[in-house]
Amino acid sequence: MTVESRPGVDVAPALDDRGGATTERQAFAAATARMKQISPPVSPSQRLMHERHELVHQIDRVFFGPFFREKYGRGGDKALENDRIRYYGLIQPANDGGELAGRRYVHEFDTMTGYTRGWHETVDRAGNVRRVRPERNGGTTKHYQFDSSGRYRGSW
Amino acid sequence: MHLHLQTVRRVFEDILSGAMSRDQADRWAYAVVQEEETGIVTYSPPHERERIWAGVMYLYGVNTMKAPGEYLHSDSDISTAMDAALGDGVQGEAAMLRLASTGGRRNA
Repeated sequence: MTVESRPGVDVAPALDDRGGATTERQAFAAATARMKQISPPVSPSQRLMHERHELVHQIDRVFFGPFFREKYGRGGDKALENDRIRYYGLIQPANDGGELAGRRYVHEFDTMTGYTRGWHETVDRAGNVRRVRPERNGGTTKHYQFDSSGRYRGSW
Repeated sequence: MHLHLQTVRRVFEDILSGAMSRDQADRWAYAVVQEEETGIVTYSPPHERERIWAGVMYLYGVNTMKAPGEYLHSDSDISTAMDAALGDGVQGEAAMLRLASTGGRRNA
């Protein structure tokens, strides 16, 4: 199963950013992602480059998939433009009747460097990411909060 | 590292009884995940590996909050997840008792 490209997921907040920088970067990334979706490559060279990029992603997923999919990718996976693959865990439901549907663990693997990072994200019933809790060295816990349109709303 | 199904179940039960905090359970699960990444974790019983891992991955992040001082998951959520991932403990105990009464012969 593959997670569909959705702006809310594509531009999951940069984990090391804070406040306005995050908001601006998110807005920029969201706009860029939308432009990419709207404007397919037109020239033959662009098309060739695009196909090659897609092929590399497919190879990455086939090659690296078994290492991570079984452990972290039960909810799907997605190859990103920057040679990273995100593996999504199953959503663990929260049945409090509120707007939040539950949480899932996301594991990101950089196929170029081998670097991995992970975070817990809480999603609402519409599928928007509303809280992000990065895994930090030292075990300190911090939650970053976003509204339903992806705007950063603070942290605790 | 050796990880038994009952060990994971006990962590769930300890959260629900208050014997272990959610933060402690989260860090325990994180340590297991790290061990799995860097070393070799053996699962017991081996055929329950998937269920054990599902339990660990639930516990990892079990202290996620929806608001300051307010956990995302209720005790009921955790209890349901425990039964879904690890099976019903009552059934498990009953099965163990049946197993004991038959001298360990499963099909007797």
